Amino acid sequence: MTRAVHHDCDVLIVGSGAGGATTAAVLAEAGHDVLIVEEGSWVEQGSTVPFSLDQMDKQYRSGGVTVALGLPSIAYTEGRCAGGGTEVNSGLYWRPPEATLELWRTKYQIRDFASSDLLDICAEVESELSVQKVPGEHTDASDILRRGADRLGWRNDEIPRWMTYPEGAGATEGQRQSMTRTYLPRAFASGARILCDHRLDKITRSGRRATGAELTHTVDGESSAVTVAFRDVIVCGGAIQTPAILQRTGLRHRVGRTLAVHPTVKLAARFDDPVNTPEDVSVFQVKQFAPNISFGGSASHPGLVALALTDNWRDFGSAVTAWPELAIYYAAITSEGRGLVQAIPGVRDPLVTYRLTKRDRDLLGQGLARLAMVMLEAGAEEVYPSFKQAPIVRDRADLATMTSMFAASKASVMTVHLCSTAPMGDDERRCATDSHGLVHGTDNVFVNDAALLPEAPGVNPQASVMAIAIRNARRYCDERAG
Amino acid sequence: MSDTGSTPRTVARFAEGLLAADLPLLADDRRHETVEFIGRRVGVLPSITRFGVLAIGAGVDTAGMIVGHHRVRRVITRLPLPLLAEYPRLVRSLGYAYIWETWPDTDVNGASR
Ligand SMILES: Cc1cc2nc3c(=O)[nH]c(=O)nc-3n(C[C@H](O)[C@H](O)[C@H](O)COP(=O)(O)OP(=O)(O)OC[C@H]3O[C@@H](n4cnc5c(N)ncnc54)[C@H](O)[C@@H]3O)c2cc1C
Repeated sequence: MTRAVHHDCDVLIVGSGAGGATTAAVLAEAGHDVLIVEEGSWVEQGSTVPFSLDQMDKQYRSGGVTVALGLPSIAYTEGRCAGGGTEVNSGLYWRPPEATLELWRTKYQIRDFASSDLLDICAEVESELSVQKVPGEHTDASDILRRGADRLGWRNDEIPRWMTYPEGAGATEGQRQSMTRTYLPRAFASGARILCDHRLDKITRSGRRATGAELTHTVDGESSAVTVAFRDVIVCGGAIQTPAILQRTGLRHRVGRTLAVHPTVKLAARFDDPVNTPEDVSVFQVKQFAPNISFGGSASHPGLVALALTDNWRDFGSAVTAWPELAIYYAAITSEGRGLVQAIPGVRDPLVTYRLTKRDRDLLGQGLARLAMVMLEAGAEEVYPSFKQAPIVRDRADLATMTSMFAASKASVMTVHLCSTAPMGDDERRCATDSHGLVHGTDNVFVNDAALLPEAPGVNPQASVMAIAIRNARRYCDERAG
Repeated sequence: MSDTGSTPRTVARFAEGLLAADLPLLADDRRHETVEFIGRRVGVLPSITRFGVLAIGAGVDTAGMIVGHHRVRRVITRLPLPLLAEYPRLVRSLGYAYIWETWPDTDVNGASR
């Protein structure tokens, strides 16, 4: 039997996404000996086509086919590569709303959580990630959303993205400033190391202290054992994997019990002219009904167009041949429902479930109807809503029919915003960690990723994840230096 | 459970039949390639989902051997049976996504335009 490869470090960071990469940079720059372990591979930006099946194979967990079971089940996706979700996402940047931060501070008793401090960190993040609007032309799919909303008099905005552009360039020429291009290189420059293709299986513990980690290193289908000894461990595996890791470590208090997501329903809309830009999404969002309902654009590869039509293939299928004239849009809601993430002994992946409330189901229906209205106003010839037995919508009368036929249980509901499975705060009845991510009942196990957000923020969450992670990492450095 | 290449045989048989019925003019080699893709994705599904899909796949296959694959396929694609209906939905979603991403000029009957 071969001996496990062993590594030592001050701080082990599990996961290299929005939370892990920022944590690594802050700690390494403060002089800590940081080792990052990342289950996925290092994939250079630009080596896969954005939103393609090839990208899903290489950079998503389970090829992008993951689901929270329920009625309806909710399909979700997680990045699984160096940089995590930041490598594959749409790059749409939203600061956390001040009112939301204030609500979290009081409701969850989060200490030292002044919104002004967090917004200052956001400003740093914006500069580091070159957050900006498109300097040149928007895609047709973007313009459609803006046009439809403008005609209805509904509020809509261009959302800045973490992208760099050649001067005056259009939307499709941006280069995503993901973690492999920003915070990870910063961490490496200060001595941090990364082990890609290393999955953390288990953290060993003695009482309140974590003592070591057991990992599996996989290359070309061959697996080998790896161990790591550390002073502290910071878990940043994302809102689904982090609670599973904690539970496998025997840490269960308020862990994995309050999964919060922004559920979305979709439609495909067909126009007279080509509008499809396969490798990009709309940068406009309609916020007239925010925070409860928001509209935006989805990736619209021909394969994804076919997917959007499968719910009623008999009636919709023939539209697939016109995919260049189709684009996909979503209505996202803030959800009052919650989900569970449960690690099951002997089973590799956690069981994920989610329960929408009646209010959530109603909002999804309202959202889809209003989104279809935006499309008709923008000049759509036909709208294909993604739910079983949905009618084709060509005018306002069809819209009424669609609304009467909609049921959330028949819809293809999905989400890419996952949060709140190890909420932070000093209120131990509600929270899994203290106000700075230290897991309650431990001395050296921290969480620093989307799992900490006490609730889904109602806007795209990456900026919130990063701001909170940087705040906590700085606090960690202050305390460990002292 | 025995495999055909990387695809569980039960899932492969179901996917072959479903795609052949949905897209009768899809060339055989394209259909086989699509079925292999479906098998690869089923192979990397999260543990519990994979177990569920393989269990349903085995049940559907056994029922197909007794009363005929065609008949079973018709029943489970038409009736809104909880969980069971998710099986053809998953196979279709994966299959269609692969077909139109790989060969975007495919017609709705599977013919290449
Ligand atoms: C398709 C998509 C589109 C999105 N669009 C936007 C958007 O436009 N704007 C926005 O603000 N947000 C967007 N998001 C959400 C955003 O990407 C996430 O909120 C953010 O990445 C969460 O950061 P995180 O650190 O919690 O997790 P992640 O970024 O997911 O990183 C977690 C990392 O941990 C690794 N890991 C997990 N378990 C283990 C283990 N056991 N061992 C080792 N490593 C492990 C994973 O492989 C992963 O790389 C999108 C997400 C997706 C998937």
